[in-house]
Amino acid sequence: MSKNDSPIDFSMVLASSVHDMKNSVGMLLASLESVISDTPPTNDVQARRFTTLHYEASRINSELIQLLTIYRMQDNHLPVHIDEHYLVDVLEDQVARNHMLIETGALQLQFNCDDELRWYFDSDLIGSVVHNILVNSIRYTKTTIAVSAELVDDLLCITIADDGPGYPDDMLRRPAGLIDEGEVSKGETHLGLYFAERIAALHKQHNREGYIQLANGGDLGGGVFKLFLP
Amino acid sequence: MAEPNYAKLRILVADDFSSFRNTVNSMLSGLGVANVVMAANANEMLVQCERARFDIILSDYNLGAGRTGQHVLEELRFRKLIDQATLFILVSAESSRNIVMSTYDCAPDDYLMKPLTTKMLQQRMDRLLLQRSVMAPVYRALQKNDLGAASELLIDLSLAENRYSTSAQKMLGSVFVSMGEWDKAERLYTRALEVRPLEWAQLGLAKVKQVRGELELAGSWLEKIVDENPLYLPAYDVLADNWGMRGDSHNVQFTVQRAVDVSPMSILRQKQLAIVAQENADLVTAADALRKTVKLGQMSCHGTVNDHLNFARVSALGVERDLNLGSNVSSEALAVLKQAEERYELSDAEQAQVHLLNGRIHALNNQPDLAIKAMAEAERLQPAAENIDVELECVSLMLALKQTDKAEERLQELAKLFADDQSALEKLDKFLNEPASDSNRAVVAEINREGIDLYNQSQFDAALDCFEKARKLFPKHVGIQLNIVQALVGKLKIDDTDELALHEYQAALELVASLIDSSHPQFDRYNRLRNRVGALNA
Repeated sequence: MSKNDSPIDFSMVLASSVHDMKNSVGMLLASLESVISDTPPTNDVQARRFTTLHYEASRINSELIQLLTIYRMQDNHLPVHIDEHYLVDVLEDQVARNHMLIETGALQLQFNCDDELRWYFDSDLIGSVVHNILVNSIRYTKTTIAVSAELVDDLLCITIADDGPGYPDDMLRRPAGLIDEGEVSKGETHLGLYFAERIAALHKQHNREGYIQLANGGDLGGGVFKLFLP
Repeated sequence: MAEPNYAKLRILVADDFSSFRNTVNSMLSGLGVANVVMAANANEMLVQCERARFDIILSDYNLGAGRTGQHVLEELRFRKLIDQATLFILVSAESSRNIVMSTYDCAPDDYLMKPLTTKMLQQRMDRLLLQRSVMAPVYRALQKNDLGAASELLIDLSLAENRYSTSAQKMLGSVFVSMGEWDKAERLYTRALEVRPLEWAQLGLAKVKQVRGELELAGSWLEKIVDENPLYLPAYDVLADNWGMRGDSHNVQFTVQRAVDVSPMSILRQKQLAIVAQENADLVTAADALRKTVKLGQMSCHGTVNDHLNFARVSALGVERDLNLGSNVSSEALAVLKQAEERYELSDAEQAQVHLLNGRIHALNNQPDLAIKAMAEAERLQPAAENIDVELECVSLMLALKQTDKAEERLQELAKLFADDQSALEKLDKFLNEPASDSNRAVVAEINREGIDLYNQSQFDAALDCFEKARKLFPKHVGIQLNIVQALVGKLKIDDTDELALHEYQAALELVASLIDSSHPQFDRYNRLRNRVGALNA
């Protein structure tokens, strides 16, 4: 409850206005996509502008979705709906969702996932984590993005890697699983990673719990994001 | 993977924005679909589906003012304008979650989130079409109600270890349950649970335990399922059944209420809540649920005239019993009745009930002129006693007008007129001192027998519970009332300082006094029991 006896629950107001904003940005994105497909860019400058417009709108959209999800998580209003899903479906969906960004950026996408690989998780939540990381990688990569999924030690591992400059040192140095809430609430950043970490941790099986891992290097030499789910 | 033949598909695209329809249309033609039909709103969608069958319906959730894509889906399925062979894909700018949850009861085949891309659309259609073709023989068997054939097919599919095996297992479980193959169902669910605690298997196993009569075990599992997955609506239904089988109507209502809280937009759940609340004599909840039912009914194919009539009935009861059902429930009820006339084509019987309920509310508002006028209008529409609902509405109006003798007389006539109609007699029973229907006579006899047994074993509290149950069903039944008095006397004999029992005893006696006079066959018994009071108090 608020400290100054205000009758308004500010976080509620914020949440509902975030909800509205998210819907507006969704509409904006939809119109933007039809503009781009109706009048395709005629030169490079235009193409770059479209990409920027589209990228920034997608980013706002996914940040707003994250905000809402975190808000619900905090009040325990976020039910996790675990069921069996095929990884290829979930990952292809997110790649297709960002198809235009990848195409306008002339990026290469390496996709590596066994058609038969299936696992147990909440596909909405994991889908939005993958979407966020993907949007981020598209922003920072130079030429290529690699999306893959496999089983490692009885854990599902989803990897999104790029050939960009990689994650900054301070982000890599922190111990696993520790984007603290103070940092996020300072407005500093890393909302996407905080979100990914929380969502991962909502997935539990026996004594194990999901987590994320950041690294630089890998086959492409850029940032490597890994999500592990029990 | 076999490529679906897009050229042969018939697809309906619905959205209130023409730009979106055109975009999707050009995406589809790019994929080779030749046959695309467009609709700009809910009505156009329904008209198109009345005319022809579609393979795929791509509908936006938001279709402008009025009904949503979800409403259309419900109506299409309800009116059997589409079957399993038509894929319904709901498109929305929302992240799917909110909508998914509010619509669990009538889920589309899939959701897509805006903005759509050709690639997304193609991937999703390929996946769904393939699944449909794999499952088609199963759906055909189920449609013919050939459960044996369906289960054979599903066994093969679930053993195939491919992407259809899990959904085949889910379906197989419910087919086994429908066939009464409890052992097979139990094995299937238990095996699935060995892998993961999946909610569908947990629910399935609880259902099996429930039909086998392990009510408490099943109940505790079900409580756990809804605690862990509060949005999993089917679990509430089974849990409500569970409480019902255990005779706990309070918890039935509580469970239905929880499901309504999760899914407030579901009109069928609001209706269910209204029914159980009415059975529990909780008019406040019933009125609220009916108020919402009427509101939701404006958009839904499940809205009926009866919802309006029921709201007016409950409102009138509330006024009669001095309950606060809303700041101005009388005028609200009149407005709801007026809406019924505007929204629906009323039959004579329905129109007559609207008049009579109007009259009853006027009578309760001390406007007898308007009430009598309304009664006359109703009688003009339904001069002969044909319809028990109309007749009982008329009796209620007489009672509201304090025409008690006339009402009694009419009730006696009705008991004779409908002597061969058991379901009519059941409705009549609520107004009578003694049940007139065979079924209710049997119910009273059974409950009484049980209560008297308990009484004879000096288990007075248990006996009272039993008689109370009967009193709820037949509030005017003198025999039951006197049994309650007698059980209270028994209780007071053991402990005559029990203030609560003494108070209840006096209240029960007063109630009986208002129901009978010296000509009543049970009057002597009443007198005897009344005199015990003096003996005890002395």
